[in-house]
This record gives sequence, structure tokens and C-alpha cells, in this order.
Amino acid sequence: MSNQRQASSASQVPHLSPAELSYLYTSLSLPKNPIRPDGRSPTQFRPLSAETTILPGTNGSARIGFADGTQAIVGVKAEVEKTVLAADTLDSRSLAQHGDALNREGEEGSAAVSGQGEWVQMSIEIPGYRDDDALPIFLGEMMRESLVGSVEHKDEMAGGLKARLVINKRWHWRLYIDVSLFLPLDLPVSATDIMQVLLLSQPLSYPLPLLSLTTHLALLSTKLPKLKSTGEEDPFFDDDWAAAEYLYPRSKPSSGAFHPVRPPVTLLVVSVGENVIFDPNREEISVADAVLAISITRSHDSEALKLLSIRSIDPPSRLTQPGIPNSENASMLGAAPTENPSQEEVTGVWRPRRGGIKRSVVARMIKTVLGKGGVGEEVLEGLEGVEVQ
Amino acid sequence: MMRGAPHLFFPTCPKLTACRGHGTYMNPLSTSIIATVAGNVQKTNKLLSVQPLRARYTPEIGDLVVGRIVEVQSRRWKVDVAAPLLAQLPLSAINLPGGILRRRTSADELQIRTFFSEGDLVIAEVQSVHQDGSASLHTRSLKYGKLRNGIFLAVTGTGGSGSSGSNVKGGVGASSAVNSSLAAPGGSGTGGVVRSRRQVWTQETANGGGEVDIILGVNGYIYIYKHTDGADAASSITENVSISRLEEMASSTIYSSQNDDISPQTRREIARLSQCIQVLVQHGVRVDEETVTGSYEVSLQVDLEVGDDEDEEDEWRQEGREYLEGAKARRIIELLAQRLVKQKDQKKE
Amino acid sequence: MADRRRVNGPPGGTRPPVFASLQESTTGAAQRAQRQRQPAELRKIFLKTGLIPTASGSSYLEFEPSASLAAARSNPKSLIPPSSALKVACTVHGPKPLPRSAAFSPNLVLTTHVKYAPFAARKRRGHIRDASERDLGVHLETALRGAIIAERWPKSGLDITLTIIEAEDDRWWGDAPDSHDASWGMMNVLAGCITAASAAIADAHIDCLDLVSGGVAALVSDDSSKSASSVPRLMLDVDPAEHRSILSACVVAYMPARDEITEIWLKGDSSKAALEKGDVRSSHEALIDGAVDAARGANTVLSEAVTESIARSIAQA
Repeated sequence: MSNQRQASSASQVPHLSPAELSYLYTSLSLPKNPIRPDGRSPTQFRPLSAETTILPGTNGSARIGFADGTQAIVGVKAEVEKTVLAADTLDSRSLAQHGDALNREGEEGSAAVSGQGEWVQMSIEIPGYRDDDALPIFLGEMMRESLVGSVEHKDEMAGGLKARLVINKRWHWRLYIDVSLFLPLDLPVSATDIMQVLLLSQPLSYPLPLLSLTTHLALLSTKLPKLKSTGEEDPFFDDDWAAAEYLYPRSKPSSGAFHPVRPPVTLLVVSVGENVIFDPNREEISVADAVLAISITRSHDSEALKLLSIRSIDPPSRLTQPGIPNSENASMLGAAPTENPSQEEVTGVWRPRRGGIKRSVVARMIKTVLGKGGVGEEVLEGLEGVEVQ
Repeated sequence: MMRGAPHLFFPTCPKLTACRGHGTYMNPLSTSIIATVAGNVQKTNKLLSVQPLRARYTPEIGDLVVGRIVEVQSRRWKVDVAAPLLAQLPLSAINLPGGILRRRTSADELQIRTFFSEGDLVIAEVQSVHQDGSASLHTRSLKYGKLRNGIFLAVTGTGGSGSSGSNVKGGVGASSAVNSSLAAPGGSGTGGVVRSRRQVWTQETANGGGEVDIILGVNGYIYIYKHTDGADAASSITENVSISRLEEMASSTIYSSQNDDISPQTRREIARLSQCIQVLVQHGVRVDEETVTGSYEVSLQVDLEVGDDEDEEDEWRQEGREYLEGAKARRIIELLAQRLVKQKDQKKE
Repeated sequence: MADRRRVNGPPGGTRPPVFASLQESTTGAAQRAQRQRQPAELRKIFLKTGLIPTASGSSYLEFEPSASLAAARSNPKSLIPPSSALKVACTVHGPKPLPRSAAFSPNLVLTTHVKYAPFAARKRRGHIRDASERDLGVHLETALRGAIIAERWPKSGLDITLTIIEAEDDRWWGDAPDSHDASWGMMNVLAGCITAASAAIADAHIDCLDLVSGGVAALVSDDSSKSASSVPRLMLDVDPAEHRSILSACVVAYMPARDEITEIWLKGDSSKAALEKGDVRSSHEALIDGAVDAARGANTVLSEAVTESIARSIAQA
């Protein structure tokens, strides 16, 4: 455990030899046409299998698996909870003061209650990590932040997910989103044991996109019981599950789009040299110059995609072991070990990445996601193709 | 053999025989031998043993393995070879630079990381196996040493098909191996590297890729890299060298961590070879020289077929067509099965 | 994520009492503070290094209190201060040898701890680091690791500890908790932490590519009327207590000499921004550029503080 904390909190560090890193970096940074180890194009995603509503005990659930055996299962649970109005909010005080005006203002007030981001809780379980380690927390915060981020829609879901959780002024739903990640099953057993000892990366790829897509599908399949009580009464629900309403409302099949509002999706994008690469696997991340997690959603005002959040992730390449050029290698003939290893780049020799990213690279990465006909649209279209029962 | 139900034994399936071997135990109160693992029964005279269907790699003397250094100690390295225990590589079991027959000195001990360091990949041979099943490796040959100029992938190692060792060694059922390994596309547990005649060979690649070396470690770790002629590389540095000097030169590059220049064409073919092996593993096909070479050639053929079909596709599609998955992978397996059956028939004639 | 291993006390803390009549009073205590600065004007920063002698490097950073806070301090009208100003102390310990049990590392191993003092915010914080503090730690680590030349110090570790003595508010205290949905104050805290940590690392004489500093820019809409015509404007170094609504904000850690960003954290909907005419940038690019400008500003203070610290150590020698 200590080793992992030292290595990196946010990213996993696979142990690759300098020669491998150098080979991968050069292959991936070939101008215009990078060669990925699995032959994909820079914007191509790995095929995955998805299913929803798999757990009867939850309000909504989904499973996504990659061909390599990495899997994520998400269960969404909702609980009714009493809204604690903070004593320091002027709204509540003004309402309490003008008692006679309460009825009139009441209606307006309940419409004004727009929900709190804290009502959505997210926990992620990754094998080999404690639940208070930085990686699961970082991933959870990253996804929660874009989920509760405002998704404005005129009629269907004004105020986004947060507002949807409001029952009335005194009661709300609390949403628990629990994610479990599973190991690739095909890995030799002993190799996983060793990985656990070394705390190398457990899942074969950075788990973020997998978690994000699974959460997306689980939320779409989430149902809340139908409310029978009205107004400010204590909530009282219809116990007929068939009458339950979807958290993310669905429109009539006739009106085109099945889901007018969809949860956001977080994509992992890396840059290697001049290239921008999507859905990177573990090896590709380990040589990346920069790793960004970009959350997007469909905008309802216009056709374009909307950016919800960007977070940079510490690229593991900063922690790697440098290669030694032949001219300085003490175990090579005729070469004397030098006190100060030279800092200039030698072709074929790996150097850990230092420094940050240029703004132009960030802009290009975002543009590839958001642009018309870009990767973001493609992913959302793909997800829209997944049938949610 | 794999699918034959009469040969498949599950635990608590008693069988009355004489001697108990690996994978079995005997109830002290009775005379029946009970399998402890699910797998194939093997009978050698009176010895009865069960080979598990899918197991960890268990090192045997003489195995060629690819390993990753995970720990550096004062006089030895600990190497991950996909076995239950880490293998050790003592400093005394490597070729020290500056001559093959040199005694190790304390200076060598101090600069042990300059030979191999954490994360480095090595190709080595199992020198001995200890009581607890852990292996001792050696790299005392010019063939062995640090790996560079290529990519690494891990698949299930030997034991994956269990019976491989005895089949190949005994020469029994060599013909049925083709059947068994390819008869089960989509089956699980049958894929992986098996002990075979040649674990290392040079593959001539298409599309201007040149020569590519493939190492199939018996432990399921595979390395694919650009072929370099050791003597060529040495003589390019010095024009006229004696034979012994030449050997020294060749041995000196075994600790290099600097990649040579590798053309994009070679890189592309190395990626294709690695994918071919992934396809084999995903479809439960054993991995050896025959299947790897076969699937590589077949994949070129499939590419041509697909290329004809999808002439109208836009450019973006063309970019991703090197990715072998789904329908393409199934087609490769299909063609490979036909091809191997054909070869088998030719052998019979 | 709550600490599940120990029995904890109730999570809520104590707060000074607030009397409802205050709102009616004409003292102005319940008035939202107004931003007095220009959109591109930054708050002044106080930054000093070497305040903690036992650490190998240390720094203290303080943001200038807003005009309304300064006024409220000199002439208190209410128990509740209208806003708060960031105060951060940073200590750096190391480079020091890794523990014996640790694996070999060819690089300097960096660990960051960000902790709010229990009294840092309006609501009391526990002593155990919560999710947001761990999250801040990860952001800070990303920001610093890009700047430190880690291979100069193999097999050694560096501990960076930041204590937030006074945190920024996420919103004006009088607003309902839902009016600003996210923890905007945290972004200001991160920017302050980056600058403070950079100064402390320089004070500890650790090899760096450049002094890395943090900056924040945000899209705010101050229009109290709920008309659709209110267009969000880009502002640098925002104090969340001074604004009715923040739509989107961005923190960067920036190295001016290399013109590179080591950490970027952008959140919120930036699509509705109104940029000046002729500005061809998309709004998120404008936001990032704004944050970089803010970081450049902080960097002048940072380099000044580092120069001062060097001058002091020369004088001592």
C-alpha cells in the first residue's frame, strides 16, 4: 500500500522497461498515423458489451465489459431523506417570517428549490485499493462533478439531475451510485498476485471511461417510485413498480429521441507527441505526454456538444525509469559511466516526460472531442444505440 | 483429447488403479485414487496422474522464459515469470561484460542495476527448480539477455493445455494436437503457449516489414521485436575484428536499453503479429510457431478480402482496419483451421 | 467518503448564531459583497518563505481580503463576516530517504497532503481528511510533479504538507446551498496551494523546471434579475462570495518560462459566455487563457518571494 501512495495517487504505474517505453512512444508519436499496439486508429474505441437493469434489488443498474475481461458493474440506489435547510439561508428565513404569505410563496418556493449536489453520492471499488485511497476518490469526484453539473433542459428536466431529486420542500431523494470494477479474468493468476504485491495497475486500462459509460447506462435505467402524495405532505409512494418513473425521463417513442436528456460521459484522451489518442490502454497511458479526462453532454439549445469539465491526470510517464544511451552505459564496452547523465534526447532512449502541456495541445484535444462529427458525437451516438429496457 | 468426456476427470471422481501421481490423492481408508484438479487423466504404465485443464506455469529445467525484473537485491534479481513464485536470477548466472568467462567482482555487485533494473524484460533459461517450485534462471548464452526493439504481451503459459508437455515429449498424439487445439474455437482454457520444438524464430513479414523475431516464452510471456543480426551490428561499429572480439561486441549489446531505428513498416507488422497472437488466445487456440505463422499469413489474406469489400468506405474506416476484432478475428480462426487441417492431410500423404 | 473504521462524532459543527431580524436590519450585514476590482484585476497576494525553521522549505500565502471584508473587520456590524480570504501554510520535508520497506524508485517520490484546519471554513471540518481534501491533494500532486525534475533525487522522498488556515467560501453565506452548485471556493484554494507549494519547494532547493503558479478564471453572471439577457462575463481571480452565480471556472498550474500547463481543472457550463467582438476563441479556451493570465500574475509575486528568500539565505551565510 505504501508503495502505491508513493508512486502516484491518481494514476497507476505499470512497470515497463525503458526500451519498451521508447518503442511505444516512438510508435505512437509517428506523425499523422500513429501505430497503436493493438492496431486501432487514434480515435477508435475498443468494442464492449453492455447490458442494463441486471440487478433487481437496485433502482437502476448496468454492466459493461471489455474483451480483455475488465468489467464494471454499477448499481444505483435511491433513498428518501429529509431536507435539512441550512439555518443560514435567507430564503428559509424569509419564508418563515412572512408566515401569511407562505401559501402564495410556497408554490414559487418549491419550484425554486433546485437540489443540492451532495444528494448524489458516488463510491468506486477497485480491487487492490482501499476506499479512502486517492484514486477511487479522485475518480468518484470527477464523475460526480459532471453528473451534478447543470444540464438545463426546457421542459423535461429543468435544473438537471439535482432538481430531479427534489420531492418537495422538505423531502428529497438521495442517490447512491456504487461502482465495482472487476479484474480481467484471462490474466495468468500468478501475474495478478505479483501485481498485487507490487501494486501495479490492476485493471488493464485506466478505468475511467469504463466507469463513466457504465454509470451513464445505469442512470438511464434508474427508476424512482411514483409519488402519490402532493404538495408539502410527507411523501407517499405508489408501490406498483410498473408505475415507477424514470429518473431520466423518456419521451414517447413517436417523438423521435428516446431520451431527451442523458447523463454526461467522461472520455479519457491522451496526447503523445503531436497525436491525440482516444480510449488508451494501459501501455499507451504510460508513455503519454498528457492525460485529460473530458466530460461532455449533448446541448439542448443547439446541435453542438457541451463541455462540462476537464481534469488533467498525472501522466505515469513522469515516474518511469529513464533509459541509458549506449554511449553512457557502464555495462557496455568502452563506455565510462558519467557522473551527470546528459539531458539531451537520444533517439531510441527513453526519457521520463517532464513539464506540462501547451495550451494549443489542450485546445486540440478538446476540439477532437467536441468538434462536429468528432469523437464525442460518435460515443454518444453509440450509447444511444444501446437499448435500455 | 481435451473434449473427450471419458478422459476428463473432476475432483471426487474415484478411479481404482495402482500408483497415484500428480493431481491426485488417495483416501487412507480406501484404495481409490481421487482427482484433486479437473483435467485429463494420464496413465503411464501404472502411474495415474491428472493434468489440470488450466493451470499456472510451473517451471521446468531447460524452459526458455521471458521474465520481467521486479526487484533488485544485492547479488541477484527477482524475476516475474508468471509462476506462483518469483524466479531468481543470481548475478553469477549472467554473462558479465568484457568477456564471457570473467569472475564477478564486488564492483559488479555495486553496479548491479546497470545490467538489469526494475521493469526490464529478460530472456533466460530455467537452470534449476528449487524444492518450493521457484526457479533459478541463467542468461549465460549470447541468445539471452535484455530485450528491446519490440513489444511485450502476456498470454496463458504452458499448463494451459496441460497435456502439452507429455504430448510433445513423448511424441504421442502429435497429430491429434492440431485437432484438439483448433476444434474448440471460443472454448476456454485451451489457448496459450505450449512447450514445443522452437520457441524462438525469425518471421519474414509482408508490407516491407523486414524480419521480425518472435520469442514465445514457455511461461506465456511473449516478445516480438525487430530482427538484428548481432554480427552485422558489431561489424558496423568496427571494421575488422577478430572472432573473439566479435563475440565480445555482440555480448556487449545485451545490456543496452537503447532501441535501434525501427521503420514504421516494421512497427506496423510487429503490431499485427501481436494482434494475431491475441486473436489466437481469445479463441482458445494454442500458440506456437505453426499457429502464429499461420494466423499471420491468414490475417494478410483477410485484409485483402476486407479491402475488396469495403472499397467504398470513407478514409476514417480505412485507418482503423488494422484492428483485428469481431468478424475479422473469427474469419482468421476459420481460415487458420482449414489451413492446418490441409497441412495435416499433406503430412499423412 | 466517510471514515468507516472509527466511531466518529456527529458530522455537523457549531456556527455562530444568526438572528432572523438581521435581514430586516438596515446595517447592511446581510448585503452581498460587491466586487470592487476590474474583471482582470487580481487580489494582492502576500507570500513569504522560510517561516518554519524545522522544515527544509516552507511558505505562507495570504490573499488580500476583499474590500467589504476589510470594511467589516474595521467596523463590525454583524457576527458574520461577509466573505473570507485564503490563508495557506506550506511545509516541505525532504528529500529524505525512503522507508526500508519501499520499493526502489529512480525518481523523487512526491507526496502531498492538503488539510483544512478545523476552523478554516464556516462549517467545522473534521481532523480526518475528507474526499475533497484528498481530491485537492491529487490535483496539487499533478501540478507539482510536472515541474519537479524528479530524476535528480533517486531513491528519496519529498513530503509536502499544506494547511489551509482560512478557506474561501463556496458561495455567499446568505445564499441557499443550492444556488451555487459546486465548490468554487475549492478552486481558489487549489490555486493558492500551488503557488504556496512552489515557493516552499524553491525554498527547500529542489530542482525545478520553472516556478509553477496557480490561477483561477471564472464565468460569472451577476445580474440579479432573472432575465435571459444576463450574459456571463469572464473574470479573473473571483471571490465566490461576491457573485450571485458562477457558471464555470478553471484553475491552471502554469509555468511561464516554458508556456506550459501542468494541471488543468475546468468545470461548469462555459458555453454561454459572451466574449468581446472579434474574439474567435471558444469560451473554454478563453477561460483557460484567463486562468493562465491569473497564474502569470501570481508568478510575479512568487518570483519576488523566492528572490527574497535567496537574498536572506545569502545574508545569513
